[in-house]
Amino acid sequence: MRQKLLLTILLSLTLVTCGKRSDVVELHDWNFGGRARLIEFLRNRVYSFEAKNPGIKVIQSDKSWNMIREILYADFAAGAGPDVMNTHSNFAAEFGEAGHYYPINRFPDFETVKQWYVPHLMESTRYKDNYYGLPSSAIAFVLVCNRELFDREGIAPPKTWSQFREASKRLTKDTNGDGVIDQYGLVLMGGDKGGFAYRTIPFFFKAGADVMSEDLKTIMFNSPKGIAALKLFADMYQIDHSITPGFLAYGHSETNDLVSGNKAAMSIEGPWFRGMVSDKSPGKDVYVVAIPVPDDMIDQYTTAPTLQDMVMYSINAHSKHLNEAWELLKYLRNEEADMYWITQDLGATATTKKALASPEARNVKDIDLYINELNHARPWPPHPSMIAIASNVFTPYCQKAIVGELSPKAALDLAAKEAQDIIDEKK
Amino acid sequence: MRKLTPYLLLAPALLFTLFVLVYPLVQNLINSLSDVSMITGNSGWIGLHNYQHVFEDTLFWRSFRNTAVYAVAGTLLALLIGLAFALLLNIKLGKFSSIMGCLYTVPWVISPVVAGFAWKWLLNDNFGIVNYWLSSVGIVPVGTSWLGHPGTALLSVMVARVWQFYPFAMVMFLAGIQSIPQEQYEAAAVDGATMVRRFFYITLPNLRAVGSVLLVLGVIWSFNDFNMVFVMTRGGPMNTSMVLPVLVREFSFVHFNLGRGSALSMVIFMLLTTLSFLYLKLVSRGEQA
Repeated sequence: MRQKLLLTILLSLTLVTCGKRSDVVELHDWNFGGRARLIEFLRNRVYSFEAKNPGIKVIQSDKSWNMIREILYADFAAGAGPDVMNTHSNFAAEFGEAGHYYPINRFPDFETVKQWYVPHLMESTRYKDNYYGLPSSAIAFVLVCNRELFDREGIAPPKTWSQFREASKRLTKDTNGDGVIDQYGLVLMGGDKGGFAYRTIPFFFKAGADVMSEDLKTIMFNSPKGIAALKLFADMYQIDHSITPGFLAYGHSETNDLVSGNKAAMSIEGPWFRGMVSDKSPGKDVYVVAIPVPDDMIDQYTTAPTLQDMVMYSINAHSKHLNEAWELLKYLRNEEADMYWITQDLGATATTKKALASPEARNVKDIDLYINELNHARPWPPHPSMIAIASNVFTPYCQKAIVGELSPKAALDLAAKEAQDIIDEKK
Repeated sequence: MRKLTPYLLLAPALLFTLFVLVYPLVQNLINSLSDVSMITGNSGWIGLHNYQHVFEDTLFWRSFRNTAVYAVAGTLLALLIGLAFALLLNIKLGKFSSIMGCLYTVPWVISPVVAGFAWKWLLNDNFGIVNYWLSSVGIVPVGTSWLGHPGTALLSVMVARVWQFYPFAMVMFLAGIQSIPQEQYEAAAVDGATMVRRFFYITLPNLRAVGSVLLVLGVIWSFNDFNMVFVMTRGGPMNTSMVLPVLVREFSFVHFNLGRGSALSMVIFMLLTTLSFLYLKLVSRGEQA
């Protein structure tokens, strides 16, 4: 009886194995982060791709945006990982250098595909002589102002650092008269190391400070302009007390709660924030303006660079199905797909010329501001260690300066020294 | 064949142990003596260099101190609270005692990750109920940032850890109290001993074995606790609540230096092995008694 049972199981297993279709190519597509409606769109897009390409089956997985590096490095180190994935565009340097991303410029139709995108956004996916992804979800960091609080105070969103500091001071107040401050001018996202760096560096850029030299050999964020940018935040925290005292513990959720709940008047954010606020507090409106510039640079208010971030779709260099992955990549990011970034609020700006020039784009809130800021914005320098430096070196030292443990100059000098050691070690 | 049978029966368990315990441990030891990075791969044998780096890192010593405080002080506090609740539950009040017993054990059955998120919201400076209560009676100022202030972050995580661990201590102490022979109390009562003296001269000495085991177990578990700290503070602000398990993650998966991460985890392993031997010794002493 037992032998019969064993034989039946073995036969069934053999039949199942034989029955597997060997002519179907399986692609693994990992989607990191994104709002629910974006994930839904991507699922439908993949189903549509499969219908048009019956020989390709796509297995989709959703992963945490905050753990991109850990997840991908663990998989790449084991020679595994997905065929297609979306990551920050500044991973082009890190994963391109390490040989984990496939240079998509090797595909014969790349030059045609490249023409779909806004040129400087396409350039953000380039590292040295290769392109490592197709652009998706462009982001320019801006200042989001709580409209209700600004209107109530009768002030306009700030354009210069003095106005910014003054607005933050005026909007820091005890609103219910119990003697305790319950509304702050600015909220910073200090509990997320990466998020914090992404929100402070736009002020460095607007002041004209560089993170690294052009040749990517020297750290430069401790220049006088960089120190002035950090001092601005330190003074607001230590002298004006106009930054939320608990900012070191805040992530996305807390920041959103504070603005939505009228406990903070300003936050440094990207195109996702308007939607987040209205999801949390329906009907609530915000002013979205460019990051303020130093007073003596007011003439450059609309042209000084902010931080540009972007998502890109890339191919694993170890994929066994490079051509099929390329077809999927193009389908996910072609001009037709990009229109979804115009017709829906996905928390980011479209990246193709056609979508941005479409009549529907006129209906997208703040689109002119974002296009203008993106035209002048700069990404993090394309150095393979940049992301690690921003999160693990730049952030902790800047936070120490803001709370007063170190002076802005000492903090940035120490951070620069530590970052330079990492760069030199990499060399 | 008959001689081989016991070994064949043991083989699956032994193989399983080899794969899930011995192999990772040996691989970790090899990694700790090599220059292994998830980015650049294995660049070869470097002896004790990773250990030297770990011990020279000021963050290691800060994390070690934080872990020791978190584990020892947190466990002691949990034991005190557990003992107090065990004494309360030992007072026979019919169904009320059973209901309260169930309620007190709720924190124990909640996943540490869920508990961490819950405490993060409870301690939120603007919307948390802890601040609301404490500030409404004037104990703390409105908007006190428990997790965002370098001086209170570790303490706040420790409170959450105590909340999770005390039910286990309570259950163990309650079992210990109920196994104390009643004759000892009766004899003491006849001799005119007060309740306080009975507690100090009968209850406490009888709970010494349970208490010692709980202390060692609590310290081991807290020393190893990653979830609560990671969920609530990630070791921040500015590394003031960094503990060793979270630092292992920092070395291994933030800096991608697996060699250094492995060296640190070997250090933790040695510390915990020492504590485990202490635990086993206490257990065997308890059994002999």
